[in-house]
Amino acid sequence: MSGGKGGRSNTEVTMPQFAETALQQGIGMAGDVSALGYTPYYGPDVAAFSPQQQAAFEGTNQMANAFGMPSASGQQYMPQAQAFDGGIQGYSSAPAFDQAVDQLAMQRPGQAEYLESFTIDPMTGEPGSRAGVNQPVALEMSGGRRGK
Amino acid sequence: MGASANPNMVANPFQRASMANMGAMQTFANPGAAAAGLMNPYENQVVQATMRDVGQQALKAQNVLGAQAQQAGAFGGSRHGIAEAEMAKNFTQQMADQSARMRQSGYNQAMNNAFTAAQGLQGAGQQAFGMGQAVNQQQMQQGAMQQAAMQSLIDAAKNQFQGYTKGPQAGLAAMFGGAGLTEGTRGSSDTYQPGLFDYLTSAASTFYGMGR
Repeated sequence: MSGGKGGRSNTEVTMPQFAETALQQGIGMAGDVSALGYTPYYGPDVAAFSPQQQAAFEGTNQMANAFGMPSASGQQYMPQAQAFDGGIQGYSSAPAFDQAVDQLAMQRPGQAEYLESFTIDPMTGEPGSRAGVNQPVALEMSGGRRGK
Repeated sequence: MGASANPNMVANPFQRASMANMGAMQTFANPGAAAAGLMNPYENQVVQATMRDVGQQALKAQNVLGAQAQQAGAFGGSRHGIAEAEMAKNFTQQMADQSARMRQSGYNQAMNNAFTAAQGLQGAGQQAFGMGQAVNQQQMQQGAMQQAAMQSLIDAAKNQFQGYTKGPQAGLAAMFGGAGLTEGTRGSSDTYQPGLFDYLTSAASTFYGMGR
């Protein structure tokens, strides 16, 4: 309190330069990351049937055959399991995903190209025409001049 | 799997169960045929031996009858002949009755044996089927456990891969988290400091309010 005199006062806080620089870096990085696009997983998704399960399937078939009933081999339905490193036997959804992507490009090429224009070319790494790095904006520094 | 099957086991449990079931069905469908295969192979010898015994008894009785007829002075007479004929008829009837009884008994025994064997086959078949099913279910359960373990491995690898591909986003989030600390370091704020006039106005207002 300073005597009887009161009144309105305004305080302006300015972001320090280091924070503004970090923010701008983050925004730039976000633009790059947004161009990354979807990264497909080419590893196994579903574990293959184990040998004991296959033996049980065969046993069920033998049961049906013994009584003259129809039977079916699992191989007629399930695809051949793939062998992956580390002794993993399983199935991957990657072929079905690739096929779906190709199918989209074939049946709706405009939409597929538009979709891909936001991200990098997965083969070359070149950013698409609509990727953030191809739409530069000037970032104004305000803290650098006054708020140091 | 076939490769690891017991070579001494010529048929798997389900085949054995099926064969047993079919065998039992055949017996129930045609028990006479099944019984015929179970007749005592020595039945003819047994019957013939019995017939010989009866024949010897008949011979002895004939001798006794002859001696009695001789003592009575009737040997070779008509009454002796009638007595011998009657005796022969009785022994023949006895042989036929005994033979029929023995053969009927043998057939009944064979029939009972056939049904007992069929029921035994049914039981053995059910047991074989149950054993096969138990093994099958055990294999299925253990196999499912193995598959679940394999699935866990796959899921773990998948999670790691997702962590790897989400690395840039995670870095970005960390960076913006740091930028978040600068919140409140920019902007303006207004403050109002009351003066003497403000206090006097407030006091007058309170006094006026009390007086009403």
